[in-house]
Amino acid sequence: MTNDNLNKLLVFCVLFCAQKTSIVHGAQALETKVALLLHAEPENPKCFAEGMSDLTCFWEEDEERTGSADQYSFIYTYQNENSSECSITALPAAGGKRLYFCRLSQTQLFVPLDIRVFRDDLLIHNRSLFIELVFLLDPPANLTLTSTGTQGQLKASWLPPSLKYMGDSMMYEVSYAMAGSHIGKVEEVQASSELILRGLQSGTKYKVRIRVKLDGISYSGYWSAWTDPVLMETMPGDLDPLIVSLSLIISLVLTLLSLLVLMSHRRFLLKKIWPIIPTPESKFQVFIYIFCEWLGHSTGGLWLRPAYFYSEEFPAPLEVLSEVSLGPALPSSALPPKASEALGEEDEDEKLKRVDSALEGWRETPQEHWPMDQLRAIHQHPAPWTQSSLLESHDAYVTLNAQNHSGEELLDDILEETLPLQVLFASGRTSSESRSDLGSFQQSSGLGRLSSQSSFEYPNHTWPPKGPGYTYMAVADSGVSMDYSPMSSSKIDDIGKGVIYTNEYKNEIPAHRRPIGTPIPFAF
Amino acid sequence: LFSGTGPVVVLLTVLQWAGRGLPSPVRPICDPRVLDRFIMEARDTETALRGCKAGCGVTGTFVVPLTNVDFVVWETKDTEEQALEVQSGMSLFGQALGAVRESVSRVAVQILIDNNKSNIHSLGQVLRSLHIQHKEVKQSRVSSLSELLHVHTNFLRGKVRLLLTNAPACQQNST
Repeated sequence: MTNDNLNKLLVFCVLFCAQKTSIVHGAQALETKVALLLHAEPENPKCFAEGMSDLTCFWEEDEERTGSADQYSFIYTYQNENSSECSITALPAAGGKRLYFCRLSQTQLFVPLDIRVFRDDLLIHNRSLFIELVFLLDPPANLTLTSTGTQGQLKASWLPPSLKYMGDSMMYEVSYAMAGSHIGKVEEVQASSELILRGLQSGTKYKVRIRVKLDGISYSGYWSAWTDPVLMETMPGDLDPLIVSLSLIISLVLTLLSLLVLMSHRRFLLKKIWPIIPTPESKFQVFIYIFCEWLGHSTGGLWLRPAYFYSEEFPAPLEVLSEVSLGPALPSSALPPKASEALGEEDEDEKLKRVDSALEGWRETPQEHWPMDQLRAIHQHPAPWTQSSLLESHDAYVTLNAQNHSGEELLDDILEETLPLQVLFASGRTSSESRSDLGSFQQSSGLGRLSSQSSFEYPNHTWPPKGPGYTYMAVADSGVSMDYSPMSSSKIDDIGKGVIYTNEYKNEIPAHRRPIGTPIPFAF
Repeated sequence: LFSGTGPVVVLLTVLQWAGRGLPSPVRPICDPRVLDRFIMEARDTETALRGCKAGCGVTGTFVVPLTNVDFVVWETKDTEEQALEVQSGMSLFGQALGAVRESVSRVAVQILIDNNKSNIHSLGQVLRSLHIQHKEVKQSRVSSLSELLHVHTNFLRGKVRLLLTNAPACQQNST
């Protein structure tokens, strides 16, 4: 075979292949359009124009009615012209049906066209149409997505169908959605070959497709098939100011809510974090109340109101140390237990226990006369203090000594915390500097220096006996306030005869209970 | 394709003509939206009067141009021949609508006919701006108002639009 023959054969093959490809492509396009019109056009025959000078009409017949193409005739007539006939072609369709086609290669637009279809001389279809109103174009070609340089935007561009006179009559529908999502948006554009898609998410891949249709003013028709989707990712974006501001607002709201919850439950949280340290105040209050009741029964003229014990006047340089614990040596009675607070050296629990025990012992004795009996016993039996005596040696019993000083000096001196304690039962003596005896309170005709003594300095549990003539006072310190109660003089027999000096209290005291004598300002 | 001032210039031109005569437009009117508006108003009039009883009282026959366009044949014609077809056709429509206006009695029909006559005059101005001359062409006859309006719409959509789309004066402006 010569070179020329080979060349001819090669060209023939190329053309054949190209034509075959074109034929295959054309067949696929026709199949797509037929499917579109079967869905979109209710009338028969269904006709569409692809270009400026063509018209394709077809109809579908069921399997039982199908026959050869020769059985059908297609007659078309333009207005004011004679009728013409179109040759018919039959093609198989799905489901055993058949499609019959008629294609015109030369047409007239803007004039009515009458179409009649006959099967064996029987009119089966009749339709009048304008060819310029039934265009079904091919989808736009070369759909391309590019970045505009702006966040959230993509530019779509395409080639419009190459139809003369109709470029400005075409409108396009652009469909775009995030890749993988079935929910998208559609935008229309007229007489243009590009569109900027806005409002897209940054850094997201989008798929875009497009279809075309004539605008309906001069030319009209059906929507073309969608192009194959094109994918492209948008530019990555910076932090959206709206998102940042919303995040800040949400954080603020959550913080406020947390604070509200904490504030509403603060008591519970405080209890858990800083538990309240229990204090024996309640027990002391009971003790004091009982003591007041006892005073009320025994003395009668003294102030026996619990409120009487609460004085907030003078700060005490010396604290009452102990309570009285009733011992078995004095069967008649014992001094009433006194609520006291040790000078920081006793355990509070032990003190409470002694209070309780003293209270129990006291309850067993007659309440009315036992303090006097106790004093009588002391006078009659000034034995050294022992452990079993009235007061335990490790208890501190503080008394107040009135001394002959001027009032002003008295206050200055007494406010010092290092006032010595004096012997309790020393009578007629001036205040001593000893700190080793029970505090005592001396009768004085006027203002006197107050001092106190402690029993801590007598480890041998011995108390030097004191002579008669003392006046004692019960002091109760609950840790919150100091409660004072003037007691009768050591000269028991002189009760009611001597002058009993009492302190001045700020609490309201009933007039009928006000004691006899001038008040002595107490100061520590 | 079309480019230029737009419908405002056309309107001003028509008003000026109605008041003082028929002055020549200054610049070619090539905006396709001008003709599109005329086409839509003609179609609306055709639709509105299609169901008119007894032909809206209009009797007689009217001479109208042919509207069919064979693109293959059309492209063989030069611009002048195309322009002549369009201009003469518009003239025929003007005469027919004038005769219709005198025979209708309903005010609503009169308003629609007047609007279409105005559009025909405006289109004449557009054609004149493109230096399109008038000449006798093939004609036809219709015997009803609806037929007349239908032919009128088709003529606008077809030959008139084709001519204006490819008018040489508009092609020179776009280049």
